[in-house]
This record gives sequence, C-alpha cells and structure tokens, in this order.
Amino acid sequence: MITGIPVIDPEACDACGSCVEWCPTGAVGIVDGKAVIVSPRDCYYCTDCEKVCPAGAVKCPFSIVLVQNKPEGNTEKPE
Amino acid sequence: MSSQLEFLKSLPYFENLDDEVIARISQDVLELSFARGQVLFLEDEPCRGLYVVKAGRIRVFKTSPEGREQVMLIAQPGDSFNDVPVFDGGPNPATAAALDASVVYLVPRGTMISLVADCPAALAVVKLFAGRLRHLTSVVEDLSFRSVVGRLAKLLLDLAVVEDGPAPVRQLTQDEMAAMVGTVRDVIGRALRQIEREGAIKIEKHRILVVAPGKLREML
Repeated sequence: MITGIPVIDPEACDACGSCVEWCPTGAVGIVDGKAVIVSPRDCYYCTDCEKVCPAGAVKCPFSIVLVQNKPEGNTEKPE
Repeated sequence: MSSQLEFLKSLPYFENLDDEVIARISQDVLELSFARGQVLFLEDEPCRGLYVVKAGRIRVFKTSPEGREQVMLIAQPGDSFNDVPVFDGGPNPATAAALDASVVYLVPRGTMISLVADCPAALAVVKLFAGRLRHLTSVVEDLSFRSVVGRLAKLLLDLAVVEDGPAPVRQLTQDEMAAMVGTVRDVIGRALRQIEREGAIKIEKHRILVVAPGKLREML
C-alpha cells in the first residue's frame, strides 16, 4: 500500500544516517536504531533518501496513473 | 531423394522427421526467387509461413519511424527466418529483403503447425516461446530506435491505468523504471522532469499522472 511517504524496510536499515543527513526537510530520523519518517507532512517525496541509502532499505515507488476526462486541445478524444 | 527433400531433411526443424513426413511437407513448400534488394515481406503484414534460404542472403530488419534500420539477422543458406509469427500467430515482426539474388523455400504456416498439432502441450510451449521472442525483438527495437525519453514514455503509456479501474495501478521505483528501459536512475529522474515540462505527465508526490497520453505518443 502506497501512502505517499518513502517505505523503509527496518530489517535492511542499518541506521547509517545517510537518509537523515540528506533529507532536505528533516522528515527522516533515527528512532530506536532504525530510520523512520518522523515528519510525514514535511516529506515531499524528493526520493533522495532512496537514492542515498547504501543498504537499499528505502523505497519510493510511484503509482503510474492514467488521468481521464482531460481533453488534449481539440484534437484528441478522451481515452 | 530429390534435392529439395534432401535440403529440407538437413534443416534443424525437419532433421528428425521420417522421409514420408518430409515428402508431405515438400509438397506444400513453395520455391521463390528474389532479385537483389527485393522485399520478401513487410513488418506487420500477416505471416505466410517459415522461410528458409536455399541460395543467397536475406536481410531481416526493423525500421524506425524516421527510417533508420536495425538488422536482426542476415540469413544464409540453410537458415530459417520469420519463425516467431509461424508459432505465435501474430504478424511479421520484421521486414525481409534479399541482400543478394536469392532463392528461398516458403513452408506455409499451416504445414508447420501441423507438425505439432497432435501435441497440444508442445504447441503451447512453442507458442509461449515465440511470444517471448517477439517481446525480446520489441525490446531490441526500443533500445535501438528510441531515446531514454522515448523508452520511458512508452513504459508509462504501457503501464498507466485509471485508479479504481479493473486493473491494479502499477507501482515502480525510479531504479525499477531504469532497469526496464535500460538506463540508470539519475537519467530516469531527468527524463521524468523533461516529460513533465512538456506537459505529458504531472508528478504529484508518489503519483505519476499521465495527463496527456497523446503527448507521450509524440515522444516515441
């Protein structure tokens, strides 16, 4: 289930702190020896935490959604 | 045994068949001659059957919308080509043209299918493999002809579905997208931003919204 915040696998996280250091909004912190999103409202899903995590513990999946009812100019019918 | 029968028996497809079966196949086989440069068949046309080079050389290739060509195979005497649509029932995946003055044997699709028709499991397996080979051919086409932006646009077009529709919404990380289009994560990030600037998608936190599929198609 995607909630709009990065998904952190506590088993894989070794609390190196890279994500905390890189997060531009301070949304990530280390709690009880594991990285967690401590301030979800501040996370704007830049995905830097996923990029810098050396353990591959952070995942930032994107949902790929087709938006309907948005005619493109006058040339294409809605799909 | 006629030279045609001997030739057919030497082919990997037919080497284990009894002489009488080969003789039956031989009755269906057409011998066709082509001048240098002449087109045997076009990509996306219905498949007539399996072709085998008797003499000369045949170039099998795909063409980009801009006219660029990617050669998939130079078929020499004894080589078969157009195997995929024979077994998956789809259209020709590529175009074939004679590189030299050439003679080919055409084994009609029905004749080829009849060889495995009495074994539905074998037919199912070759159909599955042929479908996978067709998919790999399209991967080669994408890597050869499309830029990263074009490949990513195609991926988004292929995967995007409406929310709450019958198909589940696909979820991919940028690393997964990179692996699927044959590039690296940083390039995907830049490509996504470019596609967004051009108005084809909108990125809202964890959602990539395909708002203008027509614009994505223009990027292919």
